[in-house]
Amino acid sequence: MSYLNVRTRQAEGALVVYIDGYLNSLLGEEVERVVQETLDSGMRNFLLNFEGTRLINSIGISIVIDIVEKIMERNGMLAFCALSRINRELFQITGVARYVRVFEREEEALGYFGTSA
Amino acid sequence: MRLIWNQGAGFSFRPEEFHGRAEELSTLLRVCQEGRSGVGASVMIYGPPNVGKTSLLLKLKHDLQSLPEGTASPRPFPFYFSFSKILSHPLALSQHFLQEFLWQVLIFLGDSPPAAFDAEAMCERLGSYGLTDCREFLLAHRSFSERGDGLSALVSAVSFPFTTGRDVFYPVFLFDDFQYTSKLQGIPDGAILSILRPYIKSGHFPMVISGSSPGHVTSSLKREGLFGTFQLVEIGGLSPAASETLWASLFERRKIRMPVPIQARAAARLGHVPIYLRMFAEEVSFRSAEVADEIGFENLYALSITEGQLNRYWREFFENSFPDRLDRARAVKFLKRVVCDRFPLDTFEGALSLLGTSSEDGGRILSALEFKGLVKSDFEQIRFADDPVLADFLYWAFERGVAGTSSSQVAAALVQAKLSRAASEPAEAERGKWIATAKELMRRWDCREVPLLLFRFGGFRERFVGKGLLEVVIGMEKEPQKIRLPKISSVSTGYRTRRGGPRFDFDMVAYGFLDAEFSEENLVIWAVDVSTEKTLAAMAVEHFENRCRLLCLEKGLHAPQLRKWILFEGGIDPAALELAARYDIFLTHRSQMRIFLNLFGMEEIDLQAEDRKPAEAPPGAEPLEFELVLPMKADTEVVAARVAEEVASYASLDKDAVDRIKMALIEACINAFEHSGAESGKVRLRYVLSPEKIELFVQDEGKGFRGGRTEESRRNRGWGLKLIRELVDDVEIMTGDKGTIVRMVKYLDSGMEKEGAGSPGPEESPR
Repeated sequence: MSYLNVRTRQAEGALVVYIDGYLNSLLGEEVERVVQETLDSGMRNFLLNFEGTRLINSIGISIVIDIVEKIMERNGMLAFCALSRINRELFQITGVARYVRVFEREEEALGYFGTSA
Repeated sequence: MRLIWNQGAGFSFRPEEFHGRAEELSTLLRVCQEGRSGVGASVMIYGPPNVGKTSLLLKLKHDLQSLPEGTASPRPFPFYFSFSKILSHPLALSQHFLQEFLWQVLIFLGDSPPAAFDAEAMCERLGSYGLTDCREFLLAHRSFSERGDGLSALVSAVSFPFTTGRDVFYPVFLFDDFQYTSKLQGIPDGAILSILRPYIKSGHFPMVISGSSPGHVTSSLKREGLFGTFQLVEIGGLSPAASETLWASLFERRKIRMPVPIQARAAARLGHVPIYLRMFAEEVSFRSAEVADEIGFENLYALSITEGQLNRYWREFFENSFPDRLDRARAVKFLKRVVCDRFPLDTFEGALSLLGTSSEDGGRILSALEFKGLVKSDFEQIRFADDPVLADFLYWAFERGVAGTSSSQVAAALVQAKLSRAASEPAEAERGKWIATAKELMRRWDCREVPLLLFRFGGFRERFVGKGLLEVVIGMEKEPQKIRLPKISSVSTGYRTRRGGPRFDFDMVAYGFLDAEFSEENLVIWAVDVSTEKTLAAMAVEHFENRCRLLCLEKGLHAPQLRKWILFEGGIDPAALELAARYDIFLTHRSQMRIFLNLFGMEEIDLQAEDRKPAEAPPGAEPLEFELVLPMKADTEVVAARVAEEVASYASLDKDAVDRIKMALIEACINAFEHSGAESGKVRLRYVLSPEKIELFVQDEGKGFRGGRTEESRRNRGWGLKLIRELVDDVEIMTGDKGTIVRMVKYLDSGMEKEGAGSPGPEESPR
């Protein structure tokens, strides 16, 4: 199991980051790096798509919190989409859900960036 | 025997008297529930008459109706319909179908059972649930009926259920006695399947088709191009354990006593077929007989076969199937040769010549036998029901009718034969079990990809010798070379490439289709031999290869279309290994098979000297325990989660609960990795499953939960334990000299409290 690169897609108004597989420290740090680099290049809006996520562990969650903080620092916007029940619950337990808009589908989420921009 | 109305069949079914078949039920339940997400498949159930197919369908209906409250919408609505009614006129059938559907759907929606079988009134009621399409359908149906257009009426009736439901439910079809659809007046064979075709293809409407005559139905399926989308499930006798449970409950109700060791033997003699068990219990109670020992049992059995219940059952069966006396006599004589004397026969030509009649008469007799499920045709090959009770009955019928022996003489001969035949079977039994496991495995591989090394003994041993099971499993995930498994449609023991041609015998021959596409190019044949010898010798490999080569030649197969596979148990002769590699034969050792089984979520059927407890039994009084030792390597906690998933499947937990358990376990493992003293580098896990709860123990060798030392813990921010507390019902942390144990408990009461994973109502004592 090696996660060398994180799948991303530049959509209108936001960068979509696909969290595929097991969100642990390894994958988490990769995602964090991608977000950091994109922020540095001036982009502000991010959508994390959890459709392909099989599992999330606590370290993965912590890294997601770091990402939330980083984006809020730069006044960017962050949304999640395609969360499974258990993952949605996890973000609620850990309080992440309060800072992030959650959508069912990717298009809906992108619409959100479009209208709020 | 048949009940007049389908709901009548439902009423007479007592779920608490249903035992065993947990495996089949869980497959069917899964298939039926997958309709919600549009990936529902269809299943065809077949097997000899009265073996328990209808009970299985009714049990499935019962289970689908009692899914837990929280089940997401749309819920599956199981619609049971039997085609065995004497309604061979399509207008009558379509009318009945509509009424039946309306009746069952109303009850499903919680309505009280309608007072009359009045379609209009029921339609009105349905309207009150917001389902209003019904009226149009009834009108259309009536206008077709008035015109006498049977086919259109049938189309409108059969299509009706698919338009109902909306977001509230989706229909799951349980079609019983499907072979009768070929007997509709003026309707071409297979018409019902053409009507159903688009719905079957859609994946939103799981269908379970059952019948004792698979040959007829499979050929219709093939004509409609549907064969590949159907999974075939053969129903035979119960598992020995299940039939003994059934025995016990039958005996208890009738207050019969029979010594336990004889019970097991008796159940086996009756082929573990529920209906025979019932009849025999009735026989005992009717005659107020004592069955104190083996001889007592054999005597009573012989009596039942020659003049009692079992005799009446089969006599009526033959009288109904063959109203003509001469045909009946021919059929009995013919079957006696095949079923009782085991005359080797597997083609229609052979059968016709053995019947010794004109091909017209013979064809009629054979097709009646097929219709009734005593003959099964499978490609060009035919197979006969293997039923010990039928064999004995045929012996009686033959001796009586042809040889003129008296019943009591026949009975005496039966007892004699049985008592002398007792021993000499255990070695074969072991092999048989193994073949059954492999068969089941093949049935389940469904266009999956499996590491090629699992099939190649030499390469496998080179890479994994001396490694633990878990290390192998993890290593296997990185295995780049994969083999694509076909969807297996049928498994038998021999193959004949053309009529009258030579027969190729293996322990197993399976036909499958790659990518679930039923076409000649995608056909794959698996030839399998199972060796239980101490050493697999080069000779055996050579012999196997020869048969394969001939088969290839006869059938004109390209090399990759024939997959050659030998399963073996003991050691292997190096020359044999080399030969197998040269001939491209897959070689799999028992230890590889275990990983294989794991991959397909199966337990090995029986391992006498293995460390596992009998995991087959449903969680009853005894808790099931599983243990796992994880090496401290990155991501091995995923394996712990996967095992949890497998363990939870025994308890038919809902997905949410399983997800929570998996998360909690992952967190506990991560904590254990972080805090363990790392001397052994291992974390021990224990999963204990009992009817009311699932307990998980995670043990490391460190000093308990601590916060904020390592880099990882900083990142973790102490979420681990907090999450665990949220995810499971109870958490306990015990730290001692030997390390720390985290005990997590999830109670199962929120799930299906009535479902003991297949065995109905463990708390209810049978009345």
